[in-house]
Amino acid sequence: MDLVARCRAGDVEAFETLYREHAARLYTLACRMAGSREDGEDLLQEIFLQAHRKLGSFKDDSSIGTWLDRLALNHCLDYVRSRRAKMNKLTDTLDAETSFEPTARRDTPIARMDLERAVERLPEGCREAFVLHDVEGFDHKEVADLLGIAEGTSKSQVFKARMKLRGFLRGK
Amino acid sequence: MHPNEDALNGYAEGSLAPAEAAEVERHVISCVSCRQLVDDLRDILRATADLDLQDPPARAWTRIERAIQLDGDGGARAFQAGEAEADTAARDGARSFQPSDVGAAARLKGSRFLLPWLAAAAALVLATMIGLRYTPGQSPSGARSQTTASGGAQVSAGDAAQSVENELRQAEAHYENAIKGLEQIANAEQNALDPRTAATLQKNLAVIDQAINESRAAIRSQPASEPAQQSLMENFKTKIALLQDTVALINEMRKGNEAGAARIVSGLKQKGN
Repeated sequence: MDLVARCRAGDVEAFETLYREHAARLYTLACRMAGSREDGEDLLQEIFLQAHRKLGSFKDDSSIGTWLDRLALNHCLDYVRSRRAKMNKLTDTLDAETSFEPTARRDTPIARMDLERAVERLPEGCREAFVLHDVEGFDHKEVADLLGIAEGTSKSQVFKARMKLRGFLRGK
Repeated sequence: MHPNEDALNGYAEGSLAPAEAAEVERHVISCVSCRQLVDDLRDILRATADLDLQDPPARAWTRIERAIQLDGDGGARAFQAGEAEADTAARDGARSFQPSDVGAAARLKGSRFLLPWLAAAAALVLATMIGLRYTPGQSPSGARSQTTASGGAQVSAGDAAQSVENELRQAEAHYENAIKGLEQIANAEQNALDPRTAATLQKNLAVIDQAINESRAAIRSQPASEPAQQSLMENFKTKIALLQDTVALINEMRKGNEAGAARIVSGLKQKGN
């Protein structure tokens, strides 16, 4: 019996195997979209709980990884939209900080951990656009559809995110 | 004149048409600030492409396993029904749950064992997952709105401040309940841990308690301070995470799962450094 079939039959050890195979990818996405590891962990739990509930709807002719990716992305987007609705704003706070002025040169390559932390610090709005476009590889049209914003807004949010990251990384 | 942000961005990522790219390049060669910006953007793009995946903490699977077990028991649904106002995502999840082809008994078939205190922990874990997404500056019910449902009249600033304070107090009470429950479990089962690990955990908890006390003191002196509220909530979350790690570790020790326990201890050490 394959892994998905065992999961559907209620085999928790099989589900744990499924979790171990895919958790890092989904956790990374969740943390970056949520902007914190704590919220990312909560989202991961919700994603796998939902996956467990919905495994019956998984079509065997597709990849379980792709199915989980889609489930996770939708869940993260629901979370982002819900939080944005609560905050009642799509951040535009970066305008004042988008500077073309020369800043101190950085002589060393950007460390991964520094960049990871800087991404977490990005304000809502531009962080999600940045993660979807620059990290996950969606084009601006897709990012716009996913986030429910205009394509031009996606471009400008990604640019703002990059500028903000530049500021964070230079300020180190 | 500098090229606009779209052009510089496009040039940095290589997405411009050749003619436009050549035009931007002519400018970039002679303009220090734009050249530096393009170099920086390319550095960021390169570093972004190299970002690694992050492993979730070891406790994450333990939490999920318990949530699944509780879900199979119907406990999660009952719990979620009671906490439905707390979180839209959780509410959606609860609504979308339908008894599937996998029944409760089948769900539990592959599970290992569930001590009574683990069931209590699972409920607490769900409580922290579902009910505790308090964000300072907004109410848990999403009430940033300044209007009433009936007439759209403005709520006074005093009422709004009172409401925020009440909700902060409620969130604090939720956290404290979850912490209390987890502490009871951790304390009752602590003999399952080796003394050095137990001492490390106690030391870390003492540091977090100190931070909680400091956040509380800051709120007492500035009740409306969002950074102070944020800091208190973050410290509560940290404490809950550490207690969850402790419970997860105890669980792995009881199961005799040395690899699982080692993963958790390694995570604890990393946090302690």
